[in-house]
Amino acid sequence: MASRSELINKSNHSKNLITYIIIAVVFLVALWLSTQSDGPSKFPKEVTDKFTFTAWVNDGEDYLKKNYRWITKIIANYIKNGYYFIEDFLIDSPWILVASMIVLPCLIAGGLRLGLYSCFVIYFWGAVGMWNESLQTVGLMGLSVLLCVFFGIILGILCSQSDRFEKFMKPILDTMQVMPAFVYLFPALFFFGIGGAPAILATMIYAMPPIIRLTNTGIRQVSEQTIESATSFGSSKLQLLLKIKIPLSLPSIMMGINQVIMMALALVVLACFIGAEGIGGQVWLAIRNLDVGWAMEGGLCILFMAIMFDRFSMSFSKQEATLPSDVQKFYLLPQSWEKYQIARLLEKPLSIIHSIIQYVCIKTTNFVAYIFNFIISLVNKSTANDIAEIISRRFYIIPSFIIFFIISIIDTNIFQFGSFPEEWKLSIRQPIADGVKALTVHPGFISFTKGLRGFVYLNLLHPLDIFLTHIPWWYTMAVFIAISYFTVGLRFALITAVLLIFIGACGIWPQSMITLSSVLVSVVLCFAIGVPLGIIASYNERYRNIQNVVLDAMQTLPYFCYLIPVLMFFGGGIVSAVLATVIYSIPPIIRLTALGLTQVSGTYSEVSRSFGGTLIQTLNKVKFPLAVPSLVVGFNQTVIMAFAMQIVTPLIGGKGLGLEVFNGLARSDTGRGLAAGIGIVLLAIIIDRISLAWTKKQREALGL
Amino acid sequence: MKLSKTISAMILSLILVLGSFGTANAKRLTAAVADWTGGEITCQVAVSILEEELGYKVKRVVFPSGTGLWEAIAAGEIDFACESWPSYAEADTVMLKGPLVYDGETKFMYEGDGSVKLLGTAGIIGLSDYYIPRYAAESLGIKTWKDLNKHKAKFATIETGKRGRLIACPVAGWNCHDQKRLDLLGIDFQADELGTEAAAIAEAVAAYERKEPFLLYLWEPHWFFGAYDMVGVQLPDHKTCESFTEANNWKDCGTAAWPATGWAKDYTMNYGNPETFAKPEHAKAAEFFSKMKFDNADQAVMLVEVKQKNRELKEVVKEWKDANPDKWKSWLPN
Repeated sequence: MASRSELINKSNHSKNLITYIIIAVVFLVALWLSTQSDGPSKFPKEVTDKFTFTAWVNDGEDYLKKNYRWITKIIANYIKNGYYFIEDFLIDSPWILVASMIVLPCLIAGGLRLGLYSCFVIYFWGAVGMWNESLQTVGLMGLSVLLCVFFGIILGILCSQSDRFEKFMKPILDTMQVMPAFVYLFPALFFFGIGGAPAILATMIYAMPPIIRLTNTGIRQVSEQTIESATSFGSSKLQLLLKIKIPLSLPSIMMGINQVIMMALALVVLACFIGAEGIGGQVWLAIRNLDVGWAMEGGLCILFMAIMFDRFSMSFSKQEATLPSDVQKFYLLPQSWEKYQIARLLEKPLSIIHSIIQYVCIKTTNFVAYIFNFIISLVNKSTANDIAEIISRRFYIIPSFIIFFIISIIDTNIFQFGSFPEEWKLSIRQPIADGVKALTVHPGFISFTKGLRGFVYLNLLHPLDIFLTHIPWWYTMAVFIAISYFTVGLRFALITAVLLIFIGACGIWPQSMITLSSVLVSVVLCFAIGVPLGIIASYNERYRNIQNVVLDAMQTLPYFCYLIPVLMFFGGGIVSAVLATVIYSIPPIIRLTALGLTQVSGTYSEVSRSFGGTLIQTLNKVKFPLAVPSLVVGFNQTVIMAFAMQIVTPLIGGKGLGLEVFNGLARSDTGRGLAAGIGIVLLAIIIDRISLAWTKKQREALGL
Repeated sequence: MKLSKTISAMILSLILVLGSFGTANAKRLTAAVADWTGGEITCQVAVSILEEELGYKVKRVVFPSGTGLWEAIAAGEIDFACESWPSYAEADTVMLKGPLVYDGETKFMYEGDGSVKLLGTAGIIGLSDYYIPRYAAESLGIKTWKDLNKHKAKFATIETGKRGRLIACPVAGWNCHDQKRLDLLGIDFQADELGTEAAAIAEAVAAYERKEPFLLYLWEPHWFFGAYDMVGVQLPDHKTCESFTEANNWKDCGTAAWPATGWAKDYTMNYGNPETFAKPEHAKAAEFFSKMKFDNADQAVMLVEVKQKNRELKEVVKEWKDANPDKWKSWLPN
């Protein structure tokens, strides 16, 4: 028995050794080949000249423009008009009306805390002078969310009713979710022109999958017994769906709406690249002017807005905890402070105000209901009662309407509110800019940033760029295919080959290697910084909680906001592009390291410690090996995010495929932009699949 | 209670999205925000007159300049753009039709398909060149671009290695062809595109403060010349090259013509969508554009205000408008 396990161990050992030797040999050959060539390796000219993908796309675009443009134009026009309608309404209405239209729903849905927070958010938009832009973003997002929810729920219901339709939708939804967001932007540009309309349509594609999925699963999860009993009472299929299944799956649908809102916000901000209005454009302008203060203001507007909408939509799917009757309900402070006398005293007036407002609301609503009842009862008694009943149950919405109405009347007849008052403005632009400037002229700081820039460029980026671009394309390709063959399988190896040949044949091989090297350097830096942070978090719970809040905020920000801090301290350039990528894509690796290490069950570390292992040994020999699958998932997500970031880094001096996309856009060379965009996606897909397959193998090997 | 609360909050938020009390539909135009400060100023001047004097509502879209912008204008997605520099625009000869008139004099006759309308001159006259700081020109004895190669090591950075660095035309869509020019002229420099005007200028300012030699692509009018002492390297005089277009796969004419030469003197112009400006309701706007003639001196003053004193663009333009009514009143339609 012992000898057998030894044998397995031995064969494993020698197998590992062989793998390492092969990797070393492959690497050395690559190194040798790269020093042999005197310029970047390019695909054979015969292939790139024949495979004129860009020309095909451009011809196709011309054909579509000539023959089908009118259809897309009509669709785009409808959406555009709808959007202009909302935008005009939001911007031209008295600001108090708009503010109350945002604050009141927040107050009703999320309580006093969210209500106050939303007041702050709205004040912030106006104070930094981005009132109109913020409302444009809200309008764009609102319309796309509305369309997403409408079509998403319909499609979700269809999926839940027909297995065949679900099977048909599944691969489509999968593809929609794998694709990075920006990929939709360019085809949308291609079909629907620039501006708000394509932004909304792209957002619909991007943000619809979660609501379809969650509606579908929500309806399918309604328990058999409920359905059975409803059917036994003689419900028809339609009644069953409308009265039982959909109401019961409402929490799940609400969760879907929450995700739709967050995704829509992210994409709507990004859509400034195809000419959509709103804060995204402001941030872009600020980056273009290297105005850090301005960019920060825009970034904060987006961040606060995102948190507000997130909490707002979350509050629908959350269950309110019912308190025992002898406990005072808290409205503003955390309920856990109930034991302190001061907190109770502070909450007392709030509670009184709450009951007064509730009383007034109920009375007004009842009064309105009574009037309606009276008017309609002249015609039909039973309908009147129904309507009165419906109205009297909505005792928050009717008073809200009355408030809106009063505001509009005051605005038109007595006093014009106009747009957000100028004198309330409180720009934080200059202080931020001055603060940053004071720091960036500090000699110590300059030498630090310069040193970091020099280090990253000379030791990581430059050698890797040269190495990857100078290796002959066929060699790189062969290595990739071999890796896919050994990790995933023959089929994926073939797919990899096709995808890489496509990239090469489009004539963007050197650029894609530069992108690859930027991504790799970014990922290496992410690991170097993220893993230690994750380890600290796994040992210290308080630190972990703080870190989680920061990471949450980081993940709600749209990705080109990450250019701002880097721009602030490092200026433009290719190293800055890498650093921005690191900041954006680091959260998953920190999170998953912490998760992986904390998940390793206590027993293992106990055992290790009882055998006299030191902290480092336990970490190194026990915890890390067991946390590998989690780490690889982190790696995988980081890589995908790093690839997604490549599309915006050209704004601060990034090179490679992202720059190609930008150039394609600026030169109206759709083919070129599309080819480069596809190139980024294909590289991401290949690496994603390989790392996923590797994780699976690791998991199996560990018996998890 | 819970459900009713949920539903009322949802309906309220729906109202926010759908609700409308019917606002008067203002005359609406869409304009592209230029991606260099001078262009932004010219555009803001035009936009503020359209908005304040002619009752328009102008939507400003951030879009990179280049052929893409021309196509967007031709397709009617953007109505107009300001201050196009002819020697940067590759699309002008293909899409414009008609004469470019400056001071009653026809500067250029366009014979394109007319899918974009030339709205008239913007008034700004532009010059572009490569520049080095005067201290470097004097200490190194550089008189023209021909002397650059001798001192290329002084112009090198970590990123360029042995070659010198040109802080190049920052935006690819401007079609400067810097690297091509350097190669054709045999200047062993690397063109570094930094992505934005601000990034290029920041790089130049930092180098100037350290008194290092640097080669910078730049244009006039620009505030940089007021603050820092720069001299041009006198690229060869401009000469056009017919075959150097995208359709011809950028076949160059050797060292004889563009892009191996400097830029032409640019009589800048405003351009827009022909259908929009043919509509009777936009006749006033079209007339305004045909009369508008902003000038270099005014723009230069405002550039200093906006970029050096860090003031808000809108404010500066408003101030100029208040101080110089005689200048812009003559542009208004009758």
